[in-house]
Amino acid sequence: MGQEISEFGKVFLFLAVGVIFVVLGFVTSRLIRPHRPYTEKLTTYECGEEPKGSAWVQFNIRFYVVALIFIIFDVEVLFLYPWATIFKQVGGYALAVALVFLGVLTLGLIYEWKKGYINWVVPTPNIPKMPTKKFEKPKSLEKPKVAEPETTA
Amino acid sequence: MPNNLPEIIEQVKLSLGAFVPEISLSALFLLVITLDMVLNEKRVVIPMVSLVGFVITGFFTWQQLDMPNQEYFLRMHVVDPFAVFFKFLFLGAGALAVLITMDSEELGEKNVANIGEYYAVLIAMVLGMFLMASASDMLMMFLALELVSISSYILTGYLKHQIKSSEASLKYIIYGAVSSGLMVYGMSLIYGLTGQTNIYEIAKFISANEVDEVTLTLAALLVMGGFGYKIGAVPFHFWSPDVYEGAPTPVTAFLSVGSKAAGFAMLIRFFKVAIPAEPTGELAFDWVNFFALIALVSMLLGNFAAIWQSNVKRMLAYSSIAHAGYLLLGVLVADDLGTQAVMFYLAAYTVMTVGAFYVVILIANKIGSDDVNDYRGLGKRMPLTAAALTVFLVSLTGLPPTVGFIGKYMIFTALLGKGTVFLTLAIIGVLTSAVSLYYYFKIPLNMYLRESEDGAETPMESSAFANALAAFLMILTIGFGLFFTPLANFAKNSVIMLVMN
Amino acid sequence: MTLTLITFLPLIAALITLLIPKEQKQTIRLVSLLAAVGQVILAVVIWQNYNPSLAGVDDVSKFQFVERAAWFSVELGGYTVSADYLMGIDGLSVTMVILTAIVALVGVGASWTIEKSVKSYFVLYNLMSMSMMGCFLALDFFLFYIFWEVTLIPMYFLIGIWGGKNREYAAIKFFIYTLVGSVLMLLAIIALYASVIDPETGRNTFSMVAMANQQNFISGSALAPSEGNLLRALAFFALFLAFVIKVPMVPFHTWLPDAHVEAPTPISVVLAGVLLKLGGYGLLRINFPIFPEVFQQFAWWIALFGVISIVYGAFCAIAQTDFKKMVAYSSVSHMGFVLLGIAAVNSLGMSGAMLQMFSHGLLSPMMFLLVGVIYERAHTREMDKFGGLAKHMPVYAGFIMLAFMGNLGMPALSGFVAEAFVFLGAFAVEQTRLLSVIGTLGILLSAAYLLRAYKAMFTGERKPNAAYEVEGHHGEEHAHFHDWKGKVDLDGREIALLAPLAAIVIIIGVYPAPVLDLIMPSLNRVAEILSAAANVAMK
Repeated sequence: MGQEISEFGKVFLFLAVGVIFVVLGFVTSRLIRPHRPYTEKLTTYECGEEPKGSAWVQFNIRFYVVALIFIIFDVEVLFLYPWATIFKQVGGYALAVALVFLGVLTLGLIYEWKKGYINWVVPTPNIPKMPTKKFEKPKSLEKPKVAEPETTA
Repeated sequence: MPNNLPEIIEQVKLSLGAFVPEISLSALFLLVITLDMVLNEKRVVIPMVSLVGFVITGFFTWQQLDMPNQEYFLRMHVVDPFAVFFKFLFLGAGALAVLITMDSEELGEKNVANIGEYYAVLIAMVLGMFLMASASDMLMMFLALELVSISSYILTGYLKHQIKSSEASLKYIIYGAVSSGLMVYGMSLIYGLTGQTNIYEIAKFISANEVDEVTLTLAALLVMGGFGYKIGAVPFHFWSPDVYEGAPTPVTAFLSVGSKAAGFAMLIRFFKVAIPAEPTGELAFDWVNFFALIALVSMLLGNFAAIWQSNVKRMLAYSSIAHAGYLLLGVLVADDLGTQAVMFYLAAYTVMTVGAFYVVILIANKIGSDDVNDYRGLGKRMPLTAAALTVFLVSLTGLPPTVGFIGKYMIFTALLGKGTVFLTLAIIGVLTSAVSLYYYFKIPLNMYLRESEDGAETPMESSAFANALAAFLMILTIGFGLFFTPLANFAKNSVIMLVMN
Repeated sequence: MTLTLITFLPLIAALITLLIPKEQKQTIRLVSLLAAVGQVILAVVIWQNYNPSLAGVDDVSKFQFVERAAWFSVELGGYTVSADYLMGIDGLSVTMVILTAIVALVGVGASWTIEKSVKSYFVLYNLMSMSMMGCFLALDFFLFYIFWEVTLIPMYFLIGIWGGKNREYAAIKFFIYTLVGSVLMLLAIIALYASVIDPETGRNTFSMVAMANQQNFISGSALAPSEGNLLRALAFFALFLAFVIKVPMVPFHTWLPDAHVEAPTPISVVLAGVLLKLGGYGLLRINFPIFPEVFQQFAWWIALFGVISIVYGAFCAIAQTDFKKMVAYSSVSHMGFVLLGIAAVNSLGMSGAMLQMFSHGLLSPMMFLLVGVIYERAHTREMDKFGGLAKHMPVYAGFIMLAFMGNLGMPALSGFVAEAFVFLGAFAVEQTRLLSVIGTLGILLSAAYLLRAYKAMFTGERKPNAAYEVEGHHGEEHAHFHDWKGKVDLDGREIALLAPLAAIVIIIGVYPAPVLDLIMPSLNRVAEILSAAANVAMK
């Protein structure tokens, strides 16, 4: 008697209640909702706009390259800021260290430049086609096809 | 631990002296990418520069043999004989990887235009392994592991026009991301329990205070996820068959020896230091039994799954899972003998596995296939190469007079006399190694016992350099099998690991 | 240096062979022949200089031709592992060394007709020959193990490349079977090393000689002889399995018929002549003296399995239509006598076992050579395809008769002496008396299958569907052997291979004393060790 729930027990309760809540919600809605899908319902919701194509688009690789280079120099600032705060105290040694650090980064930048990774490649437009098949009317809403009379040749 | 700025700076300056090999590798990396920019002819110069760089680094590493066992960089980095041994191993594996890359058609001019980067990334990977072997702080461990992992993703996908290579790389990234996520989570739990990231401090805290056992177990299991992925042990092995098959073969060779050795170095240090058995003899988390289970499943699954493979690289992937199992047997006895056995075995494994993959490369260069059924009749067409492969496979099976046998011998020596559980593991170990004979010998079976389908018997030996390298590795395999005293003694002297201070 | 030389002579031959261009087949053969002749000469030297009064077994100083050199010494964790290059001869090994030299030479002779990849063949053959010899001479368990395992790899390729139709299966089956046995042996070796010290140096040792003396076990160690030490039984069976697979004992014999049937003639010769003896030798030298009390406990069972092998092997032989398969099963049957003889635990039974190994080591190569002769000519080994061969091949029939008689234990041939000793030895002991009576059934059965085979192939008339045809020619009946390459009866080479074997078989049958003199002191010592343990066990 008098057993208290341990800290982990509380976490467990929390998890259990969360899981049950979600599962219960989904299951009940599944049970009581009407099931009447049609094209418009099945298309992706894009803030009310008509969807222009599939979301599975390959973005041009240059975006990633630029993003990566940006991150590197972003992080550089992050490292240089605390360095700047102690620069006065440490002096020449700190300068040398920072120069090595920046030197390595610069070498990297030169490398990318030389290898042409930061050339802005003009893309050949490759607009993905709408995979229309996916968005055909659900079978349940289609009128049953009238069997075509067989023609004998 | 210093906490005012001048002292910190002073210690960092001092630590630089213990960091020369790593600095040398970093400089080599920068040199290689600079050369890659300025040179037109890279295919010979860059690997040669890399080799020279490895030799120089080796010299600096050798100088570390006399250094006092100590922590550096605000207790992030350790220099001790244990780390030095592994550094030599990584340098050796790296140098072999460079050598076998030079001969690979897969990474030849036809397929890969830009080989300079390859060597640069390889060097970065060796650097990462150096850090893994020396890391004494969980943060450093994670960073080093990621450096190795990211480098290996790049190398795995290096043949970007081949779907298999890209697929392997992607799978590797996904598995890698999941397991490093698990590991970081485990580490954060440990930090939460102990308030420390340094493994020596963690050990101190655990032995001094009551730690919640369930949480510690969970944390250790999660951390093991990250290690297990690096060493390729069941159940963290799913990536390895695909990656081994898809990656360019020299990369596969390097991953299978370098990554695995680095994983073991870090695993041994982490579990032996952070969760030690002494002084009460009781473990805060019973990793011995846990490792026993992993080792058992790895040996069984690796060896039995390999039986059904017909792609040689895939077969060697499963065999490497099995070898992870054997190596774990050495780890789990948790004494110096076991560690020494693991270190010897890793060195042996490096020689024989790189040798085997090298021959696979040489054969693929000629016949353009990794399928064991295409190896028919090669015994006659490439006599020296085929003989070398047979020796490597005999060694992988663990038969005398090869270095693989001595490795197994040491592991089993470490296991015996320590109770029934270990005895059972040893028995299963030797029996599964008898099973491994069956699939390893599928290769000689095809090379020697079967004629090629078109009846071709024209010899197609490789270049003199290739033959010399294959023969060198073969002689090493047999030579260390008969006269292994120097290597074993080196391993013995290197088990000294910086323990709690 | 004698022992090193006799062991590594074939290795030298193999290395020289590697340097010879592969077109020069005759030179390659001659190099191997030279090495084998050298081995025989050295074996004779050993035999002449061997002092039979020294027993050996568990005392290094009573070994002869001892060679000892430190091989390696490695610090492993807490203790040092060191092995010696230790070789020596006593009564257990001297006959086996002579046998190995003879059979290896006969094997080279039988290999003369091999035309496929001659160079690789002789390299592998010599490697195998080296490791077999090494097994019999090594007194250091680690060294022994290396030789023991090294026999497997060349054997795999020799069966696999030069074998018959089903060679892949036979080769890998042989390899896996024997490997499963020997990997467990490795664990036993490790445990033994940790438990035994060399009385001279006081350090742990791999020396089998030291292990054979129970005094040398460290008290309290894993394998220390004490009441109810289960680990000792485990180690015993680990070794036992390795050796009886080689012997082979039913039910671990199934690799043998496959390997024999697929192997080329010279390899069958070596396999039956020497490799099977490795099993029996291992039991006598290693397994039983090291664990005498466990052996005593299970002696009856070992005898039982020996008898099962005798009878079951014989029944299987009766069921065969393939000549070679019949001979293979007869090997299983005859090696059963070795087990029965040792399990009798007296010097009579053991000397019978030893003699049986020697005798079978001569007779079975003869049989396989003879099978090879007929197969080479007729390209079939089905016994009912032949008939009336005695008329066409009188010399061949003569040798067959001798081999068959030797095998079924005809007096005045070596088989009789050996089997009689085994039965006498086993009968003298109460617990194996009944088994020995059942074992005699094996002789009866072997008479049945051998005589049946002889009758089918050699007597009567040529069969209508025979493997050769007879044509009327100039009014005379003249045998015309299709595809027999012009040879009908044995040629000079074949006679030269068979005649020495036959001669030794007869000499030992009539006058076994020289062999007995060589082996008795050592066997008496083994018997002492084993029965001492029995007495202890009874107390």
